[in-house]
Amino acid sequence: MTICQFFLQGRCRFGDRCWNEHPGAKGASGGRQQPQQQPSGSNRRGWNAANHRYSSVIQPSSFSKSTPWGGSRDQGKSSLGSFESGTSASRDREFGLSQNPFASLSPDEQKEEKKLLEGIVKDMEVWESSGQWMFSVYSPMKKEPNISGFTDISPEELRLQYHNYLTSNSLQSYLNSIQQLIDQWRKRVNELKTLNTSTKVTLLSDVKAGVSQVAPAFGFGSGQTSTFESAGFPVNNISSDNARNFSFKPSSAFVTAPSGNPSVFGSLPAFGAAPSASITTSASAFGFGKPKITSASSFSFKSPAASGFGSPGFSVFPASLAAGPVGAPAAAGFGSGSSVAGCGGPGSHSNTAFSKPSNNISGNSNIATSLPVSNGCIITDNVLFTPKEQLTAEELEQFQSRKFTLGKIPLKPPPVELLNV
Amino acid sequence: MMCAFCIRNLILRAALEKVYFLCLQSWRRGPVRLGSQPWAKMSLFGTTSGFGTGGTSMFGSTTTDNHNPMKDIEVTSSPDDSIGCLSFSPPTLPGNFLIAGSWANDVRCWEVQDSGQTIPKAQQMHTGPVLDVCWSDDGSKVFTASCDKTAKMWDLNSNQAIQIAQHDAPVKTIHWIKAPNYSCVMTGSWDKTLKFWDTRSSNPMMVLQLPERCYCADVIYPMAVVATAERGLIVYQLENQPSEFRRIESPLKHQHRCVAIFKDKQNKPTGFALGSIEGRVAIHYINPPNPAKDNFTFKCHRSNGTNTSAPQDIYAVNGIAFHPVHGTLATVGSDGRFSFWDKDARTKLKTSEQLDQPISACCFNHNGNIFAYASSYDWSKGHEFYNPQKKNYIFLRNAAEELKPRNKK
Repeated sequence: MTICQFFLQGRCRFGDRCWNEHPGAKGASGGRQQPQQQPSGSNRRGWNAANHRYSSVIQPSSFSKSTPWGGSRDQGKSSLGSFESGTSASRDREFGLSQNPFASLSPDEQKEEKKLLEGIVKDMEVWESSGQWMFSVYSPMKKEPNISGFTDISPEELRLQYHNYLTSNSLQSYLNSIQQLIDQWRKRVNELKTLNTSTKVTLLSDVKAGVSQVAPAFGFGSGQTSTFESAGFPVNNISSDNARNFSFKPSSAFVTAPSGNPSVFGSLPAFGAAPSASITTSASAFGFGKPKITSASSFSFKSPAASGFGSPGFSVFPASLAAGPVGAPAAAGFGSGSSVAGCGGPGSHSNTAFSKPSNNISGNSNIATSLPVSNGCIITDNVLFTPKEQLTAEELEQFQSRKFTLGKIPLKPPPVELLNV
Repeated sequence: MMCAFCIRNLILRAALEKVYFLCLQSWRRGPVRLGSQPWAKMSLFGTTSGFGTGGTSMFGSTTTDNHNPMKDIEVTSSPDDSIGCLSFSPPTLPGNFLIAGSWANDVRCWEVQDSGQTIPKAQQMHTGPVLDVCWSDDGSKVFTASCDKTAKMWDLNSNQAIQIAQHDAPVKTIHWIKAPNYSCVMTGSWDKTLKFWDTRSSNPMMVLQLPERCYCADVIYPMAVVATAERGLIVYQLENQPSEFRRIESPLKHQHRCVAIFKDKQNKPTGFALGSIEGRVAIHYINPPNPAKDNFTFKCHRSNGTNTSAPQDIYAVNGIAFHPVHGTLATVGSDGRFSFWDKDARTKLKTSEQLDQPISACCFNHNGNIFAYASSYDWSKGHEFYNPQKKNYIFLRNAAEELKPRNKK
């Protein structure tokens, strides 16, 4: 086909309807044409124009402009108190094992990503300012998998919990857990609004991860709701009334586990404080930027451990497993992995309250927890970066030099330390 | 700069609207001669003074009271807590009976007469808030799903209710399936299962696993749609026995809230409308000739509809219902408004005034003459905005005229 001259100049009127060839734009735009009735802002913007329009990408300055505004509107909407849904661990990061994360990103892919990121930022701003329901999952484009860090809680579920807490006179714990959820939601939204490198990277991997992780992530999501209620319980030590609905019997093992396991229980409101601190540190070490990553990663790795979690309906365990694969925290994670297994006991109680299948599941997961211990070292966080230790001297040299020499190009992704983005 | 023609149209339309408004006022005020009103030919809101006694208390209320700005008929003895679900009786039952399930753990039944008068008939209790109700196809039984993890079958003739289903978590949806070779009740629950019950047995006929908690579902034989948490969306086909037909990637970016199946011109279910918490509804066809063009989403239940620069308030879509005759749809939202849309012409037909409470549920009767909507708190702003003292209403509106589809250009 003939090359479209107008496209090259950046002014093709037909966009992808054009009968001529648009070099570089075809592959990128081929798969994604869903003209909506009401296109969500930036997405449409990007697709219709030729991709070269990316030079006019929204610059970060626009974020800062709107954030204070967004912030003040939140004050106005403080009616919601600080409704922040934590769901950290619950939302399970999905770390697609992208085969060549550092295969040269063609300009189109880069533009796609930029557009995606812009879209996310915009959506976050809108979400915060519009007063819409906080406890909802989010995905940057329809048909994309959910971004981690958000839980799905329906208003009915929340209301039911309120009623239950009311009848059992533990309203304060309900309020506390709500507060924590809100804080976590807010934090996550802010993270996404002010995209730094690490968040970007994790987001992109999220998006590329594909949909298959849905099941286990969901399992955790539901576990999330139960765990966050249970978070209230250790505070109150009310067992009997709570048994009625979604409740974990409070257990000491449950309480102690999170201390060792940053990722899993980071989502639990009661434990929100401590784990998040450790999470952020580990996160930075691996450039993940998002604490909850760990849980998701286990699912995308088709490791035996992860596959054990392929079946849905897990609450606590997948998250702990997830902790496994992630480099340094992995060790800690597995230390806690065993404690999590201990948690399996009480966890299974709660699960029975929840759903029958989970009984079997807890059995499985106990077995599964032992697996990642051995695998943990192998399956490291090499989704996007490899830790320096893993690279041979030659590979390290290659990464450090200005240009790759043919024949010596490393097959592993570069370590995060060497990136200067 | 408008041409004279446009200006003339505007003036005419304003005048026309005034006339309608005046008619409405006078109609409301007292007995009217049959035939003198445009809608009098409908069987529902005929004439009689039943209106005054129909529980329409708004006449005496002050003008600042905004609980019923649309001046619709108020149902008498409405539930004491938020109404989660509404359902009208099927055509097999003569007359119109309305069932409403509420967060006060009760299910109430009214007879809605053509005059607009609503007569409370009966009530049943659960031990937990009632999340969904539905009728059997013969109109003799009502099925109710509750947070107490059970579903009950209420025989209206004997006024007895027995438990027919059990889950491990609150039952969110309940639907009656009438297939040529079987009939059963389908219950969707937060325990991530979809169970099918023969009402005579305590064991489910079938259990299907869902990827996540069931948030909403709809059934028009032979199709069933279930929307779950984490943006899950599954279509089932019910012929022979229920089985999963397809998992669909969600056309929406946020949490799913409500779903309703629509039919094509041959009266076969062909697609569904999915509403989310983000003030958006997606229309999705199962097997469209051109998916990219046929499937679309539209924004609704937002403030500042057209003004895109100012930040909007975005409200959840709490319910979607399709008019059984016209195929147009109604959506109700947390903003306290309802809207009527024509999905084929892709236009909005009408938006109501804003009620002072969110509208939590809606429903059409079997012939599409009555549109019922419930005004009660849906927890969209958390517990701080919950006022147990606030009265909850169910309103009935004449739906025959306003939901006529726009003529396609």
